[in-house]
Formats: sequence, C-alpha cells, structure tokens
Amino acid sequence: MGNSISKTLGKLFGSREMKILMLGLDNAGKTTILYKLKLNKIKTSTPTVGFNVETVSYKNVKFNMWDVGGQERLRPLWRHYFPATTALIFVIDSSDTERLNEAKEELYSIISEKEMENVVLLVWANKQDLKNAMKPQEVSDFLQLSDNLKNQLWCVIGSNALSGQGLLEGLSWISNNTSKK
Amino acid sequence: MSHGVYLGDTPVRRPGVSTNPLMRKIQRACKMTLPEPDIALNLDVADFINEKQGAAAHDATTTIVKLINSRDTHTAVFALSLLDVLVKNCGYPIHLQISRKDFLNELVKRFPEHPPMRYSKVQRLILTAIEEWYQTISKHSPYKDDMTYIRDMRRLLKYKGYVLPKIQAEDLAVMRPTDQLKSVSEIQKEQEIAQAAKLEELIRSGKPDDLREANKLMKVMAGFKEDNMVNAKQSINTELNKLKRKADLLNEMLNTSSEADLQNNETIDELYSALKASQPKFQKIIEEEHEDDDLVQSLLKFNDAINQLIEKYSLLKIGNKEAAERINLTNLNDISTASQTGGALANEINLIDFDDDAGTTTPGQVPNSTDSNSNNNNNNNSDPLIDLLGDLNLSSTPNTSSTTTYNNQAAAVEMGGGISLGTTAPPSANTNVPISSSSGDPFDLLSDFSSPNASTPAASLSVPTAVATSPTLPSAPVSGNGSTRINVSKSANIKIDLVVSRESNSTIKIKTIFSNPSANLVKDLVYSMAVPKSFTLKLEPQSSSALGSFVEEGVYQNALVENAVKENLEKKPLKIKWKATYNINSSPVEETAIFQLPIV
Repeated sequence: MGNSISKTLGKLFGSREMKILMLGLDNAGKTTILYKLKLNKIKTSTPTVGFNVETVSYKNVKFNMWDVGGQERLRPLWRHYFPATTALIFVIDSSDTERLNEAKEELYSIISEKEMENVVLLVWANKQDLKNAMKPQEVSDFLQLSDNLKNQLWCVIGSNALSGQGLLEGLSWISNNTSKK
Repeated sequence: MSHGVYLGDTPVRRPGVSTNPLMRKIQRACKMTLPEPDIALNLDVADFINEKQGAAAHDATTTIVKLINSRDTHTAVFALSLLDVLVKNCGYPIHLQISRKDFLNELVKRFPEHPPMRYSKVQRLILTAIEEWYQTISKHSPYKDDMTYIRDMRRLLKYKGYVLPKIQAEDLAVMRPTDQLKSVSEIQKEQEIAQAAKLEELIRSGKPDDLREANKLMKVMAGFKEDNMVNAKQSINTELNKLKRKADLLNEMLNTSSEADLQNNETIDELYSALKASQPKFQKIIEEEHEDDDLVQSLLKFNDAINQLIEKYSLLKIGNKEAAERINLTNLNDISTASQTGGALANEINLIDFDDDAGTTTPGQVPNSTDSNSNNNNNNNSDPLIDLLGDLNLSSTPNTSSTTTYNNQAAAVEMGGGISLGTTAPPSANTNVPISSSSGDPFDLLSDFSSPNASTPAASLSVPTAVATSPTLPSAPVSGNGSTRINVSKSANIKIDLVVSRESNSTIKIKTIFSNPSANLVKDLVYSMAVPKSFTLKLEPQSSSALGSFVEEGVYQNALVENAVKENLEKKPLKIKWKATYNINSSPVEETAIFQLPIV
C-alpha cells in the first residue's frame, strides 16, 4: 500500500524508478562503475561471482542498477536478470581489442532475446583513460549497431570509471530516452 | 483523412484482449462462455509455460489468481482448474509460484475471517487445492524447503476454523514424484530449470535476504556444476536399483501367477510399463556415460534381462505358456545384490527353528503340498494315511530287492511312504543330469538359501566345482556300510528319493534325488533340509534347478549330517524336515514334510 502511494506521489513529482541491467565481459569495469556511481569512490573489487545491485538516484530517477558478473560461466545466467529491465548497459573494455569480437557476440546474443526487445541500449566504451583504448566512435563502428538495430534506441558513450567521465552522461541519456509513463 | 476502418502498424486485435500471448491463452482458457473447463486449452497454457520458462510461471499465476478472485464463479472455477493443470504439468517453476506468500494471500483474499456456514464452490475448490498441494508438493517435492508457505497457509486456515477436505489417494498419486530413470543430462536439465526458476523469483522479489540467497544460488549454478554432476550420478544409481527390484518382482510375479491373473493384474502392468519406459533411457545414459565401463556393462546386462522379461510377459499375455517358460531369467541376480531379495522371500518356512520336538506331534509323514494350480491331485487328501497308501501303491521303484541292512523299524515304515531299498536304483543320474542345459543358473539357487544349516559354499563358488560332486554315487554303496534308498515324497510333479549312507561314525551322507514323473517341466526347484539343533547339516549345491518332463533322477543334492552317532539314533531317530519349492506351468508349488531317517 505504502509502496503504491509513494509511486503515485512519485509520478506527481516526476520521479521514476527503473531497472537497469549492466552486463559485459569480465574485467570490463562494471562493478567499478557501479560503486563509482553509488559511493563516488573507487572500490577495488575482485571479479564478481554473482551480482551486485545498488540504487542510484539521479535527476529524480531511481536507477536500480544490477551488475552481474561477466565471467564466462556466469554468462548463461544473465538471461535470468532480463525480466522487467528498462535499460541495458553494456560495458566494454575499449583497450581489450582482442576480446572486442567476443564482447560483440555477447551483446548481440543479449539483445536478440525476446525479453530485451523493448529495452534501450547504452554501451559504455570504458577505460578511456588507457592509451591504447579505442575511441567511442571506433567501438561504435565495430559494433555495427546502426546496421543491426532497427527498432531499438541505442547509444555508445566513452567512459572512465576512475574519473567518472561519461557516467552521468550515460544515465541522463537513459532517463531522457525512456518513456515517462 | 479520417477513416472509420483502417489498418495501422499494429496487428489487428480486439480491444481489451491482451497482446501478451500467455495472457491471451489464459483468458481463452477461462472464458465465461466455455461450457466446462477445457483441458486442451489448459494444457496449451502448460506447454507454453514449459517452453518459455523465465517469467512465464510468475505471470501466469498472478493472472490466474486474479481470475480466481473475479466476481464470476464460472471464471473462477475455470481458473482453478487451469491452475490445477499447471501445478500438475509445469513442475517446480509453478510450485515455486504457488508457494509464494503473496500468491497464497491473494488466493484466500475472499475468505472471510470466520468460516461461513457453507463454503461457496470456489472456496471449496481453493481449500481442496491447498490441501492437495500440502499433501503432495510440500511433503514430497525434492525442493520442499521452498514450499513452506503452503504448510503455513494450511495451518492458518485450520486455525481460523476452516475445514480442509480429505483428498482421495488416487488424486494424490498424480502429484507424487515419479520414480523415473533419467539420464545425467536430464537430471541436470531439471535441476537447471528449478534453480533458474528460483533465481528469477529471488531477483524478482528483490528483498535483501532474497538477493543474498540469489547471489549464493548463482554461485552454485555457475561454479559447482561438478557437484551437480555427482548428485546426478547418485540419483541414477538409486533409480537403477529401484528398477532392478521392479524387474525382480515382475519376474517372480510372471513365474507365479496364472493366466487369469495376468489379464488384469494392475501391479504387473505397472511394473511392466515402468520397465518398458526405462529402456529408451538406458540408451541415453549409455550414450552419455560411455566412458564409465562398469555402468555401461551392467546397464546392458540389465537391458537384456528386461528384454527377456518383456518377451515373457507378452508371451504369457497371449497365452503362449510353453514359449514363455523357455525364457528363463538367468542374469538378473548377477547385476546387483539388491535384486536378490525376491529369492529370500520365497523361503519363508522356518527351517532354522526346527527343534527335536517338532516332529513328535506329527508322527510319520504329512505331506503339505500347497499348490495353487491344483496339479497335485494325489496329495490333496487330508488324511495322511490314505495318502501314504497311495504313495505306496504308486511307488515306481520296486521294494523287493532288499540287499542292504535296512533296519526295519516300525516308525520308519509308518513314515516311509513308498519304501524302496537298496542300490537297485538305476544309476542313470550320470546321463540325465542336465548340467549344461540348465535353464537356471546355479548361482540363483545359492542365493535362495536362507537357512544357516544349509551352509553351502559361498555364492562366489565357481560353477564347475558346484556341479562336479560326482554323479556316479547313487550306485556306489559307501564303505561297506551300504546305503539305504527311501522315497520321501511323491507328488504329481516331483518324486524325491533319498539315498542314505554312513560316511563315518558320526557322519551320515544323504543324497537327495529328484525325479519328474509328470509331463510338465519343473523349474526353479529349490530344496532345503533342516535337522534338529543337536545335529549339523551340510548341504551341497543342487545339481540343477530344472527338471524336464519324465526325467528320472534328473537332479540330485548331497548333504552331510554330522553328529549322527548310530547308537544315539537308535534311541532317538533323526527327523528331517524338508521343503521343496518349484514352478510348474509358471505357478509356484511348495511341498514340505518331516520324515524320520532310517538308521544306517
């Protein structure tokens, strides 16, 4: 009951709540991004076995951010997190050019799922601080999203989890591009 | 431009009908206009959920519970029957959903605080459903720890004064976990489905505790596959053992039941179909586990055994007894020790506690033929005397040639029944003993002995030595003491003769010789003996367990009685209790009696 009242109030004041699913290969920086956004701190983390979930409020929007471990054996479990997702954030390690193709394959296998056909897609080309990192545009070209995604909104943004560059930009893109129902 | 009718981008659908295919299916299955619950539509929903997995189970149950609570009784009844179908067909994912606290609360939303005088139809159905779930899934499900809220809800309803209906056992049987053999991959798949459903439910609920559990579960799902593998193998083994017991039981039942029994014996049918259904699984397991040699070997053997059983079953079903009899299961016992229980069961006569006094109440021989098939005509008389005379008259061996030292004791005559003396018995055993043609493995016999007196060599004894105890003996009187031949029993099916001889001062050797005077094949012959506790009996293995028609002295068995000093025996004759069980025309016959051993 209380929940529904706060939801109604939230609607009145324009605040929203949405489920954001953050996926990507292992060592892409998902957990670092999550805690940078939540605590504004760099939390050195061990590889995530399982998942982390935190609520990040930004501009009247409550983002329930789910960060699921990206190790190979965890990837088959990603699909269990799909239901009720508003936006998918796919994090890519822009410096890891060798595994870029692997990342692309994983991304396409996620967004081809029926449950994910209505989500907006944000790609964070992470680790932009590293010298050999690919530029967001290069990553975007490599992913060929414009050719393959017809009905879905998508966006590639360069990010640096350490400095926080690009993170808030991404969140505001998501909040601007999801319906305000 | 404004049209009244135009085609838009979206597919054409009636307004108010959900676009979600699952919702549409559910609505169709619960439509008010249906005359009665439509099983096909219900199963359609079940199939859809099984195929889609994921959120389908959750969405379905929330929709259905809304329909159950709708004002329209018709819709509510349809929704309940749909739910019933889902619970029975979708397994764990649905079970998990119906045992959610939210769901259960929603289900009884329209129950008043105090039970009404009369329950409405919907209320009655809901109570029945809860009781059914409680009796089945929350008691027997392998994941019953996830289903505790069903129990709690039932308890709450009882506490409030609601009366839960009694559920028929047949209705419950549907929901029992099926004892089906599954291959490793199938078990894993099932596990995966269950764990995935659980994980999704935990994620959906999003409570801190649940999230913590979800994290743990994820680790299990991702990290400990090997663990799951070991569990899977274990459960295969237990299922195999269960199946072996079933095969054993079926074998026994096929051997013992008459034709009429077979036609509509539910147990046999059930065993048969369980075994038959398991066969394709063998293949699958063998494919998956081909590196596990032991498993594959025993599976193949077991499969052969099942094939034989199935053939036997179908032959018996069409009434072809002879052919069915020729199929004799030999290797069932080789496969696992668990399957030997059937043999032990047959030996229920208590040979162990046979004491000195046991015989005193029954002087002489009282043949106790128990024969379900009434083949046994001359032993059906209740008067032992008539019986005895009958035996004497019928005795096929002449008792004139008394060359031996038969001690003509009154008691011995009384009990004798067709006495024949001496060594005149045709020494044909040599040729007749069907050692190699034996349809019964000697191992089978050994496993049947439960009497400690029958201290046969351990079952590991190799076959040849067991049979090698020289078949020349009947004609050879031992060590000058001579031997006495007596007939202890003669029924329509078997004739049992003993050749008694003294081995040493304290040892008597008894050779039991079986003949088959009938045209029927005697199978699975098991003979056991017992002596009073003051003596020691040593039984050697039988030469064979099958006795062809009209075979004279086809099977024999040697036994040694220790402690039998002649002087003592003269004071107090030695009584021996024997029991013979065998199958004739696939029906079991048991003969047992006590007789007094002539003094040698």
